Amino acid sequence: MHASYVIRRLLQIIPTFLAVMLVVFLLVRLLPGDPASAILGDRATAEIVERTNRELGLDRPLPIQFGVFVRNLLQGDLGDSISLKIPVLRLIGERLPTTLFLTAYAAVLGVLMAVPLAVLAAVRRNTWVDAVIRAVFQVGLSLPVFYVALQLLSLLGARLGWFPIGGYGEGFGGHLYHLFLPALTLGLNLAAILVRTLRNSIIEVLTAEYVDFARAKGLRSRVIMTRHVLRNALIATVTLLGLNIGALIGGAVITETVFAIPGVGRLMVDAIFGRDYPVIQGLTLTFALIVSLVFLITDLIHARLDPRAELS
Amino acid sequence: MNVKRLSRIALSLAAALTVGQAFAATRGGQMTFGRYADSLFLDPVLNDANLDIWILTNLYDTLLQPTNDGKGVQMGLASSYTTGKDGKSMVLTLRAGLKFADGSALNASDVKWSLDRARNPEAGAWNSSLASINSIAVSGNKVTLNLKRPDPTLPAALATFNAAIMPQKLFTAAPGKNDAEKAKAFAEKPIGSGPFVLSEWKRGSYMVMKRNPYYWKKGDDGKALPYLDSVRFEIIPDDNTRILKLQAGELQIAEFIPLSRVAELKADSRLNMTLFPSTKVSSILMNNRPKLNDGSENPLSDVNVRQALNYASNKDALIQVVTYGNGKPMKSYMSSTTPLFDAKQPGFPYDLAKAKALMAASKYKNGFDVTVLATSGSADDLALLTALQQMWGAVGVRLKIEQLDAATKTARYRANDFQMRTAAWTNDINDPSQITSYYTLFDNIESVHTGFKSAEVDKLFAQSQQELNLARRTAQYQQIQSIYLKAAPIVYLYETPYPVAMSKKVKGFFQIPLGNNLFASAYLDK
Repeated sequence: MHASYVIRRLLQIIPTFLAVMLVVFLLVRLLPGDPASAILGDRATAEIVERTNRELGLDRPLPIQFGVFVRNLLQGDLGDSISLKIPVLRLIGERLPTTLFLTAYAAVLGVLMAVPLAVLAAVRRNTWVDAVIRAVFQVGLSLPVFYVALQLLSLLGARLGWFPIGGYGEGFGGHLYHLFLPALTLGLNLAAILVRTLRNSIIEVLTAEYVDFARAKGLRSRVIMTRHVLRNALIATVTLLGLNIGALIGGAVITETVFAIPGVGRLMVDAIFGRDYPVIQGLTLTFALIVSLVFLITDLIHARLDPRAELS
Repeated sequence: MNVKRLSRIALSLAAALTVGQAFAATRGGQMTFGRYADSLFLDPVLNDANLDIWILTNLYDTLLQPTNDGKGVQMGLASSYTTGKDGKSMVLTLRAGLKFADGSALNASDVKWSLDRARNPEAGAWNSSLASINSIAVSGNKVTLNLKRPDPTLPAALATFNAAIMPQKLFTAAPGKNDAEKAKAFAEKPIGSGPFVLSEWKRGSYMVMKRNPYYWKKGDDGKALPYLDSVRFEIIPDDNTRILKLQAGELQIAEFIPLSRVAELKADSRLNMTLFPSTKVSSILMNNRPKLNDGSENPLSDVNVRQALNYASNKDALIQVVTYGNGKPMKSYMSSTTPLFDAKQPGFPYDLAKAKALMAASKYKNGFDVTVLATSGSADDLALLTALQQMWGAVGVRLKIEQLDAATKTARYRANDFQMRTAAWTNDINDPSQITSYYTLFDNIESVHTGFKSAEVDKLFAQSQQELNLARRTAQYQQIQSIYLKAAPIVYLYETPYPVAMSKKVKGFFQIPLGNNLFASAYLDK
């Protein structure tokens, strides 16, 4: 892989980041309602609202507010949360690892479920095994995340007592244990998407001439599957997985609420309802950065699996 | 053995059992409490939300305290108080040996500093409750409040969270250039005078308050409260998850149980599903102005129409539909748990014939269209308003529902850009003056933005704010409630309790009508 390709892709993140910065700054201010309304609620008098807006610097012209935002950002300061009155950077630092842990956990569970089942479905294509796998995941894909979450909680948490009902736990082992059900919820959804694509890719590759050639060479089935079929079939799946990381973070909003996980998903929802501008801005920039990095990593893996990708 | 003697023995036995129980409080342990959302900012003066207010008094004690029934005050950090003959001064005596949670002494100077900070007109949203104070003087363990005028609300104000006593030295030593910055730093790990002290706070996840070993109040066993070693708040926003966690024994208390699930949890033998009396009233606020913001004519400016809508609202049916039978009709704009609530107020009992007659007497015999602002995602709002659509349809009023998120709804409301909106209220102070000033005074947010204005109410309210004679003040409040009812600036709906589900092991926990959760006397039965 060429270093210039990596640098080119890294540089592409900068304009994306700048555009997101401007759009999010303007979008939050276009929302009807303002932080003072949201924080102070229905009872605030006009004077208190005015005083609050002045204290927050929201009475100043928009270009000045934007200038302050960019200047602070360049100094690594995302401002203080309006409702929680603590630095946004600290807030994100406290909450982001939880969401990243959950997202990664869900991605791992999703892939662990999807790959073997997709191979099985492809090898046994058009048999009852294939039909069952496809049907189960089709249903999984159609069910709303919050419904799956509540069912898993009721059955595996409350009724059988195998897992705790919500929370994040302490230490790595505690996180693995506490986040199993939410990660499974998100992982099931992801696996449903991956199984379909991967199965079709495997079937396509299985009929390719180089696979016939490998068979003709007398290679064992397992070697053909891992070295030739999966490697090629995974190209599309990796792209799909990368694209779905954004959706996983989005899904985390609901999952974090149902499972009482203190991640950035819930923080974002609270910030939007509370018109907490600095938190919304900080989180959107963080999400943009994460998604850009995931896309970059996806492209790099893609390029590794299929060197032709670098040329495009 | 005659009946009298038998009943005397039974009574003595019952009394003995009660006393026995009273001394049976178990000490130690941690109580885990499921909250729907986390606190935001633990400063008594600068906070803005019930999420803070409802737990603050566990961390910061006040000179006086609200009574559990919401009707009066009891002694707190002060052991007694006297009011001057002219009503323009109040002398409070502090208990001996008071200490903050770090073991440092709580002195009269801390009291003066805390109250001066709380009454500063530039600080926070609550300073008006202490506006009658002109100056504060201290001498030994006595604190003298010199007043601008006699103030019957002052005892209740001194029992309210914003009048909490804080340690001056620790607060002023906190980093920061000004009061607001120091408050931010101090509120991260506050040291107060309440029964508990914050020991751990992972925002959005959990908060732990541990026992303050220096708390002044004694339990039934003669030793210092609180009984518990600690209280752990777990933040669980989803109602179903909160209930599942309680049922699985991972929580001992879960707050904000949806009223739709109260009956089911009452039937659960492991739980005590408790409905604590509250000051919560739910109503529809109406814009009473002759013209709307867009210049169009406003049918709700006609008192006949407003009364008609009140009579056409079948409160009992609404209580069944929205609160699953867990409410009661509003009779006054204030809850029946508010001091000086007038129990003789008739409210607006459902009377369709009267509603129709009132509509016929109005300018809008053929009915009209009206839009109500609802909070999006609120199942209660939707259930209520779809029921009202049908009820008001019977008098020719066609109700349209506009769903908005809370911040947008508040912004529209503040700009008087609405015809109707759903609204709920809980008191923050054990006195009728707060809700009355908001609901009935134009000078204070235009009578909850209805535009209601009454010179007579203004006069009565001003008098009541200086009236130390309880009977006369009660009469003034009776009049205010009657005038307001007649003008019907709002649609009177219902009062609802605070639904809290607890493990049967939980004893002594209390949520007072103001909403404050009190853990000082709470314990876990063995």
